[in-house]
Amino acid sequence: MKSFEYTITDPVGIHARPAGLLVKEIKNFAGNAVTIVKGDKSVNALKLMALMQMGIKQGDTITVQVEGPNEDSVAAAIENFLKANL
Amino acid sequence: MALDYRKCAEEIFSHLGGKDNIISAAHCATRLRLVIADNSKLDTKALEEVEGVKGLFDSNGQLQLIIGTGTVNKVYDEFLAVTGLTAATKDDVKAAAASKMPVWKKILKTPGDVFVPILPAIVASGLMMGIVEAIPKFIPEFGKTDWFSFLDLVANTAFALLPVLVAVSAARVFGGNIFLGAVIGLMMVHPSLINAWNVGNYAAGEIPFWKLGPFTVNQVGYQGHVIPVILAVLLMCTVEKWLHKHVPEMIDLFVTPLVTVLVTAFVTFTIIGPVFSVFENWVLAGAQWLISVGHGIGAAIMGAIYPFTVVMGLHHMYNVIEAGMISSTGVNTWMPIASAANFAQFGACLAVALKCRNQKTKSVALPASLSASLGITEPAIFGINFRFMKPFVAGMIGGACGSLFASWMTATNAAGETVRFGATTYGVTGIPGIPAINNIPMYIVELLIASGIAFTIAWIIWKEEEPKKAPIPDLSAAVPEEAVPAPSVVRCAAGELLQPCKGRVIPMEEIPDETFAAGILGEGIGVVPEEGIVVAPFDGTVTSVFDTKHAITLEKDGMEVLIHVGVNTVNMQGEGFTSFVEEGAEVKAGQRLLGFDREAIKAAGYSDVVVMLLTNSDDLEGVECGLL
Repeated sequence: MKSFEYTITDPVGIHARPAGLLVKEIKNFAGNAVTIVKGDKSVNALKLMALMQMGIKQGDTITVQVEGPNEDSVAAAIENFLKANL
Repeated sequence: MALDYRKCAEEIFSHLGGKDNIISAAHCATRLRLVIADNSKLDTKALEEVEGVKGLFDSNGQLQLIIGTGTVNKVYDEFLAVTGLTAATKDDVKAAAASKMPVWKKILKTPGDVFVPILPAIVASGLMMGIVEAIPKFIPEFGKTDWFSFLDLVANTAFALLPVLVAVSAARVFGGNIFLGAVIGLMMVHPSLINAWNVGNYAAGEIPFWKLGPFTVNQVGYQGHVIPVILAVLLMCTVEKWLHKHVPEMIDLFVTPLVTVLVTAFVTFTIIGPVFSVFENWVLAGAQWLISVGHGIGAAIMGAIYPFTVVMGLHHMYNVIEAGMISSTGVNTWMPIASAANFAQFGACLAVALKCRNQKTKSVALPASLSASLGITEPAIFGINFRFMKPFVAGMIGGACGSLFASWMTATNAAGETVRFGATTYGVTGIPGIPAINNIPMYIVELLIASGIAFTIAWIIWKEEEPKKAPIPDLSAAVPEEAVPAPSVVRCAAGELLQPCKGRVIPMEEIPDETFAAGILGEGIGVVPEEGIVVAPFDGTVTSVFDTKHAITLEKDGMEVLIHVGVNTVNMQGEGFTSFVEEGAEVKAGQRLLGFDREAIKAAGYSDVVVMLLTNSDDLEGVECGLL
């Protein structure tokens, strides 16, 4: 398993649209299980609804865990996406 | 059945009025975006009926056909193949759309387009010229040094050869070859012609001339002129483009530039130059008259209405006058007026910044006033003064007083003669204008008058409005509405969703947000609301209410639903929104979930379309959207 931490810088956090874009991005990596952890809650990153319900805000640090055949490259791609968008 | 892209493209093409009627084509995530020459040749009825076209509308000069994600690019490829057009980017389409602007708008926009890009050259030269000319006033010996003579040459280069800069910039604006433009500009200040500034040294009969057919052309350059240069280059670009289109490609490379320069040169020296340099002299004389008439009343009026012209975006036109003044007389007498008007906006905005208690207003007003003091007034005017109106009026009064004062002032030049009060550059006002002005103490007094009066008046007449509480709909009782059978708008194998808000239902593709429209968050619909209440689309469970109260998620029988009020409304931070339910609540169809203030959303500048999506539509079967 590969995991990394990321602190949200977008002032409005992961609300509807960024969540949708994130899920879409992660859908590109079929075969890899992506989990997003914040505090004691964790969700499957493909579940848009669950992701939005985490209420992730600016300044929150999330942990992204990737498990799968090409977890290194997938984790790197997700990290880039987060940096670029959130 | 999958859409036949080729057939779709062919049918679209057949209703567009022929290939010549299509200026350009591009596509975005969902739409085919076309710029059409003549909308009356379109058969919009038939277009709407083409299989694959889900809707169409005309916006900003573009005809937009909604086709859908994943499909539009394929139809687009076929469309290019069918029409033989080349691919255009969205920017090309926008540029083509801009060219459909009404002629008068284009004419007003042109001076700004031409003069703004050359501002760095003008500012550099103008400020240097101001400084170089100011030093001898304090140290007279400096005027005799080689340094003075050298710096003077450097400083006046841009003005002495201004037609060249204008010509290059104009060629770029009008879409011609900039090097040919440079040739036209250079020709108009050719060293073999008599320098226009020295014409006075010649007696009437001494000026050499050419006999060119019926025309007698004086061999005099166009130093100090800008309008004839712009028009000459406009002609050049028109000729060049026409030739590119009509000359066979084999000989285009040498025939087009040759003929372009020849024709332009002839018409410039025989007609455009003589006619429009006279016209330009009238314009300058008119401007000069305006700001000196009636002991400065004209200046005061100009100072008062100046900010209006900024609001309308017309102030770039003054660049023509200012550049003309500098290159013909060396003094830009318009600048003190502009400076008074701009600095008064600074004063008024500063008053608001200091007086207001609303942090949001303060955080806009302070930097805006600072920027206005440096001559960039748009943030102050649009962000504060014009919005509250009273500070804007205060600014107009301050600007008028400052301008009136300025019109009474004179200055002394390096040679000790009395000259008009003005600047050696254009494009700088306020504090940065100080080095360019020929009478610095009086300029500072002028700025203090303008800003002081504006500040005082704004301070007295402007009062902060009490922050309006978002009028929360009085619906504290979250009981289900009495029998309001809402129609079904989304259906799937697991159940159906009723319309969540009163208003007009629109297809997802028409939601004014690419992410929603493209279905990235799931399939669904939009509602253009008639009232600010969102009700439950089914009997189910509230799974979350956003902190910002602009969106809510619900769940029933495996259907996950997001109801999102407006686009980008997350930025309103909950202001104007009320929620009637909490996470985990069991709700009945038609029960009130959220209230929102449509006026507040509009005031914040966002769309208030209510979006309802099945976020897990990919996992559901038989999803169907829209009214039955």
